[in-house]
Amino acid sequence: MSTREEKERVDLLQGTLDLLILRTLLWGPTHGHAIANAIENRSDEVLQVEQGSLYPALHRLIKRGWISVEEGTSENNRRAKFYRLTAKGRKQLAVETNKWEKLAGAIAQILRPRAKRK
Amino acid sequence: MNRRGKGLLNDLDQEIREHIELATEENIDRGMAPEEARCAAMRKFGNVTRVKEDAREVWSSLWAEQFGQDIRFALRQLRKSPVFTIVAIFTLALGIGVTTAIFSVVYGVLLRPLPYSDPGRIMAVFEVNSHGGWSRLADPNFDDFHDQNRSFQAIAKYSANFSSVSGASQPTRVTVASVSADFFKVFRIRPIVGREFGSADARKGAAPVALASYGYWKQHLGSSPDLSQANLKLENAVFSVIGVLPDGFQFPQDADLWIPADRDGENPSRTSHNYDAVGRLRERVPVERANADISSIARRIHSTSSEQGDYLLKDGIVIPLRDSLTGKARPALLILLGAVGFLLLVACANVANLLLAQASVRERELAIRSALGAARRRLIRQFLTEAFLLSLVGGGLGVLGAFWGVAGLVALAPGNLPRLDSVSISAPVLVFALLLSSAVAAGLGVFTAVRSTSGDPREALGEGGRGQAGSQSGQRTGRVIVAAQIAITLVLVVGAGLLGRSLIKVLQVDPGFRVDHTGQIVTMEVSRPCVEVPRAKAAQRIFFANLIDRLRQIPGVRGVGATSGLPLVGGGLPDGMFLMLSQNELPKTPDGLAPLLQQKERIGIADFGVVTGEYFKILGIPTIRGRIFDDHDSPSGPHVAVISQSLARERWPKQDPIGRTIEFGNMDGDLRLLTIIGIVGDVRQYGLDLPPRPTVYVNLFQRPRSAITIAMLSDAGTQLVASAARGILADLNPEIPAKFQTFSQIYSASLGSRRFNVILIGFFGITALLLAIAGVFGVMAYSVTRRTREIGVRVALGASSGDVLRMIVNQGLRIILAGVAAGIAGSLVLTRTVESLLFGVTASDPLTFAVVILLLVAAALLACYIPARRATRVDPISTLRYE
Repeated sequence: MSTREEKERVDLLQGTLDLLILRTLLWGPTHGHAIANAIENRSDEVLQVEQGSLYPALHRLIKRGWISVEEGTSENNRRAKFYRLTAKGRKQLAVETNKWEKLAGAIAQILRPRAKRK
Repeated sequence: MNRRGKGLLNDLDQEIREHIELATEENIDRGMAPEEARCAAMRKFGNVTRVKEDAREVWSSLWAEQFGQDIRFALRQLRKSPVFTIVAIFTLALGIGVTTAIFSVVYGVLLRPLPYSDPGRIMAVFEVNSHGGWSRLADPNFDDFHDQNRSFQAIAKYSANFSSVSGASQPTRVTVASVSADFFKVFRIRPIVGREFGSADARKGAAPVALASYGYWKQHLGSSPDLSQANLKLENAVFSVIGVLPDGFQFPQDADLWIPADRDGENPSRTSHNYDAVGRLRERVPVERANADISSIARRIHSTSSEQGDYLLKDGIVIPLRDSLTGKARPALLILLGAVGFLLLVACANVANLLLAQASVRERELAIRSALGAARRRLIRQFLTEAFLLSLVGGGLGVLGAFWGVAGLVALAPGNLPRLDSVSISAPVLVFALLLSSAVAAGLGVFTAVRSTSGDPREALGEGGRGQAGSQSGQRTGRVIVAAQIAITLVLVVGAGLLGRSLIKVLQVDPGFRVDHTGQIVTMEVSRPCVEVPRAKAAQRIFFANLIDRLRQIPGVRGVGATSGLPLVGGGLPDGMFLMLSQNELPKTPDGLAPLLQQKERIGIADFGVVTGEYFKILGIPTIRGRIFDDHDSPSGPHVAVISQSLARERWPKQDPIGRTIEFGNMDGDLRLLTIIGIVGDVRQYGLDLPPRPTVYVNLFQRPRSAITIAMLSDAGTQLVASAARGILADLNPEIPAKFQTFSQIYSASLGSRRFNVILIGFFGITALLLAIAGVFGVMAYSVTRRTREIGVRVALGASSGDVLRMIVNQGLRIILAGVAAGIAGSLVLTRTVESLLFGVTASDPLTFAVVILLLVAAALLACYIPARRATRVDPISTLRYE
């Protein structure tokens, strides 16, 4: 039985990075490095993602059809891959955000039970 | 991995480089030294190799990886028990190989499309007579079909004849097809050299022209593209070859020359069936519509024609040409395919039992794996992989064997099996073998997997360590499989037995001629050009009389007879309507016969044979009454006839036919009356297994014809007689070729398809029997091994070795009897399908059933006895000590 739970924990962690990527792309299509920077900056540098792990995650999202990829030109005029949120991805973002909020809320309640009684 | 993934992964290197460069530049902007900035960027990025691997992982499927694992594991398993693996593979190779070989014959003969453009639209057209039989077309009927149909873009008639052809490199007997105008349009064939027939070529009195086959052109016309010198003498005319058809086109079968039909005008009779017909359907016209179309034309002819009677068509029918060419071979081949399918089932059953036994040995392993969390689905896949490996290797070996088997089949096949030359291991046959192997694999894999993963792992583990692994249900399944094997084997062996008895019965039939000296009869087919003029006919008579006289002088030759058609050869004799007529009733002109043909009491129907008196003696056809032809019957004297016994009985019941006169001129154009002088025995002209038909024989020396077969009874060697005869013929006329055979060859060839079926189904039956016995032996031996402890206890408690023997044999007997019961039921249903191939026995022949059942039960009991004997030698001390 233990294997099942382990699997879900892994999914959860993966899912978090996926959620952040989807959220970042909501502002418009951009390239890999910019996504990494955006996640770092927006979290006030709390979330230190190993930037490389971004790429397998991007591939996974493409495979699921949540984002698409296209050729584009970066700010300093270099050719780069631009990732764009698809309609399916937009829907998924809503679902994932909702899930995440529920989870965060639940964990918060466990960690600070008093907050609930209020 | 899909293409999108591949593209992204290919670009990933570049993308990572860009990323790190951008990060480095940012760091430099923040004031780091270039070197330091790069290091920091790389640190932040992480392990590049792992990133790439992870990305690759996203796209690679888990399934493929596990598949590799399964295969490696399966190979290890199979290597671990080599005896099991080899036996299983060879059993499957046998089953799949034999099935593939038979399928290649079925495919080549029945299924392979004809080698013409859009062959599915080429149809054969027949008349349907008042008895429901199909016949060839009469000229005016064909013309009506041709002019009135709305279904065919082209329709043509054709007929094929053997003719002696001279003028090329050497005189030969060639199949010459007379074809009407649109014949080549039907096949969409155009000459590769020269031109095709024009409308002028078919007109009466036009210069005779012919088209040659590619093979004939190469062999006899020197492959010369200049045809101006290619003139061939056949049928008393010189034909200029005007074109050569493409390689491979030889329709009708073996045709080498094609000439325009009706060069002498059409036959106006609607009841003279002289032509076959083929047509190419218009686009989007289905067979059914063409059939209805032709049928309505035929019925219109039937209702309006003045020529009523049995020989006038009643209806018409259209069927695909391929089916019409192979129609007769179809039932026997489908039966063979069914039989070989049964053999395959028996073979698979053996392998299934082996796999089950193997799986029960691995029960503990499976239990452990499933306890450790392996999903049942995963275990099932493991079994499937093993079954696939076995089946594919077995199938591969089987196909190799089939290459060899097909050569054997083709050699063994009867000469009259159509399209035998297109039988080979072709691509569709290989696809069939692959599908068959996969189906076998899927069946075996799912079966063993479901059977051996359904148990509760705790049970197997709990039982473990006591040396009695294996569930009761697994053993029960094994017994059911063996019973099924016995049942299927019984069906096969009964089928083989019925066919074998039929062959014996056919050989016992009295064919009406002597069969004990067929090896001493040398036959010689001779054909001269066809002639109609009386003077030319007289020349023909003199030629054959001379030839026969000279042949008589060959040393060792004891007698020489001649006939228009030997028994058991080709399509038999022509048949027709004769009139019972006295001399003073004979009308002055042929037209006067028509009203007489409407008088039913005058009409008889009989086959028409042209023979010499000595022919009856040489074949041993007995004279029942009166006399046969002799030297008194001169060409100018009264024309005489000999009739067969069944005709005498049928047409002159309780009367003496001798001395009566008949008119049978429609067969050879000679209207002189025939006086019946004798009655001879019935002859099975069409085959040993077909009833004799009423026959009228006339005298070759009074009614000469162009093509005859000479039968020489000789004590000398066949080769000597043949070469002497060839010399005599060349001496008389070097332009006439001859074909030699012994009558025993003809006799044996007429049994060819029967023998083919008996040999094959007999082989399947024996192989299935051996496999089933191996199956019984395997299951019983396995059961004894498993019950060793139990037997030990029984012996320790006082059971005698007789008790043990009885116990084991009884267990086996129950399986065998269950199988036999099911087999009898199955046979009674299934042998009906072979009914059309049987002769002289019924499909439920009690003797065959009894013998086969006894044989099978005895063999199976023997297979039980050996393990049972072993069980009696179980030593209670040593088995119990294992505890």
